[in-house]
Amino acid sequence: MKEVRELFKNQQFILVLVLAAMIAFFTFKNPIFFTNDVFANIVSDWAPVVLMAVGQTYVIISGGIDLSVGSTVGLSGIAAAFAMRAMTQHSVNQDLTLAVGTLIALAVGIAIGLVNAFLINKARIVPFVATLATLGAARGLCIVTTGGGPVGEGPQKGFKYSVAWLGPFNTPALMVVVIVIVAGLFMHKAKFGRYNYAIGSNTFAARGAGINVKRHLTKVYVLSGALSGLAGMYFYIRLGSGSPSSGASGELMAIAAVVIGGTSLAGGTGRMSGTVIGALILTTVTSGLIIIGVAPNWKDVVVAVLIAGAVFTQGLRTWTKD
Amino acid sequence: MTIPLYEVRNISKKYGSVVALDNVSLQIHAGEVIGLVGDNGAGKSTLVKALSGAHQPTSGEMYLEGELRSWKSPHDALEAGIETLYQDSGLAPDLSVSANVFLGREITSPGILGKMGFLAQKKMDHQAHADLEAVGIAVPASNRSVSQLSGGQRQAVAIGRAVAWASKVIILDEPTNHLGARQAGEVLQIIKRAKQRGLGVIFISHTLPHVLEVTDRIVVLRLGKVVADAPTSTFDAEKLLGTITGLIETA
Repeated sequence: MKEVRELFKNQQFILVLVLAAMIAFFTFKNPIFFTNDVFANIVSDWAPVVLMAVGQTYVIISGGIDLSVGSTVGLSGIAAAFAMRAMTQHSVNQDLTLAVGTLIALAVGIAIGLVNAFLINKARIVPFVATLATLGAARGLCIVTTGGGPVGEGPQKGFKYSVAWLGPFNTPALMVVVIVIVAGLFMHKAKFGRYNYAIGSNTFAARGAGINVKRHLTKVYVLSGALSGLAGMYFYIRLGSGSPSSGASGELMAIAAVVIGGTSLAGGTGRMSGTVIGALILTTVTSGLIIIGVAPNWKDVVVAVLIAGAVFTQGLRTWTKD
Repeated sequence: MTIPLYEVRNISKKYGSVVALDNVSLQIHAGEVIGLVGDNGAGKSTLVKALSGAHQPTSGEMYLEGELRSWKSPHDALEAGIETLYQDSGLAPDLSVSANVFLGREITSPGILGKMGFLAQKKMDHQAHADLEAVGIAVPASNRSVSQLSGGQRQAVAIGRAVAWASKVIILDEPTNHLGARQAGEVLQIIKRAKQRGLGVIFISHTLPHVLEVTDRIVVLRLGKVVADAPTSTFDAEKLLGTITGLIETA
């Protein structure tokens, strides 16, 4: 009995239960839900969200927040799209074009991460405001550079890679899985993650222990930007074009995934596995509601309820601990 | 006369036009415990920050074992063997005891994984327990989160960490604050053991009976200046209080 009670105090276990209950519910309402096609769609939705959310987990555990991830997705996808359009016009090999596009998206993400780090470390602007500024600037640049329309005429081979071949997973999603696992290992098993927890838990103690806090935070915001840049490329491959509205309100999805996954916004605590399941819960709800015929606008309401529920159970655990 | 273990000569620190430290000189020898006392605003915290490398003095010199040194960051001072326990904020509460003991000095796995920063967690759990025991602290399990410990246990871990790592000097800023009488007594025992190990201990406290009990020498700061520096045996509680407040003039 005691073991069972312990199990229910384990956040990851509860999250898996919630996910299983959702899958059961949606399948009961419409059996079509329980098919590989639907799961493939959920995985495709999940991959870019979890990319943003993994970076966000690092940022939030370090005691900060990154609101610029959604705009970074948009701007990096557009930058990659312009480059790939030019390369396609010059008949460059498609795989090479996609590789260059990925590097450009990554570079844009890193650049935005560096701007965030500069604003936070050097200009001493709190992360919420600093990344709100880059959120606005990057989204503005998306519209300015494109005039508001999508940037297409790139390599057509991208579509081929979005076809699921390993169960519900396509190639880019499998790459995302690898990235998530590596990021999780560095979070929980390596010095980098250890310092991240220490800074979020007590910045003063971390500095006193000789940790270079500013340098670490720079790495964390650059990581968040880089992963968002990859998410931008992911959207490009899925849509076949760079859209200025890609990743719109992505910051909300990312933060929601982190919070539902049990990471405290106060910093210092949280687990990568929680974020992974949190993102999966979010994207499962989105697909599930559509499949059972609920108007898509209800999605935001359900997400809001999930966030409130997650934060409520976090509080509950803190009370029962005392 | 032996060379002092750690010495500051004529250091001053100015914040704009405010003089926080005014020509302060101080020596500490190996195996010596000195008490650093003074009223609020006397410059104790500023002096601690200079000694621990957190702030750089505006002027003056620092010598470690007779060698002129300067610290660009707390990291430099740590490397040189100077450990500081800051008031109330030495530990990261969400981390385990061993993670705190090894914070900033983690043991990594052998081989390529270690180069990438992967940690030898079991080894650290083991070693942390042994290190804390060696300085006289019994903490239940070193993989427990610090937030689950009592206030006294936390402080013991914080001090144990500093003593275990210090190779030369240990600076303790108000280590007995907020502790019960028995726990404070244990902290004083740890200080005495650190002294026996040949460390120089700088003990900052408002609790004058603790200062009188554990120190060999007392340095009194008032308004950024050293107003007294004498063996503890020359003070009693009344004289010490008088020197701190300025009711008794010494030079």
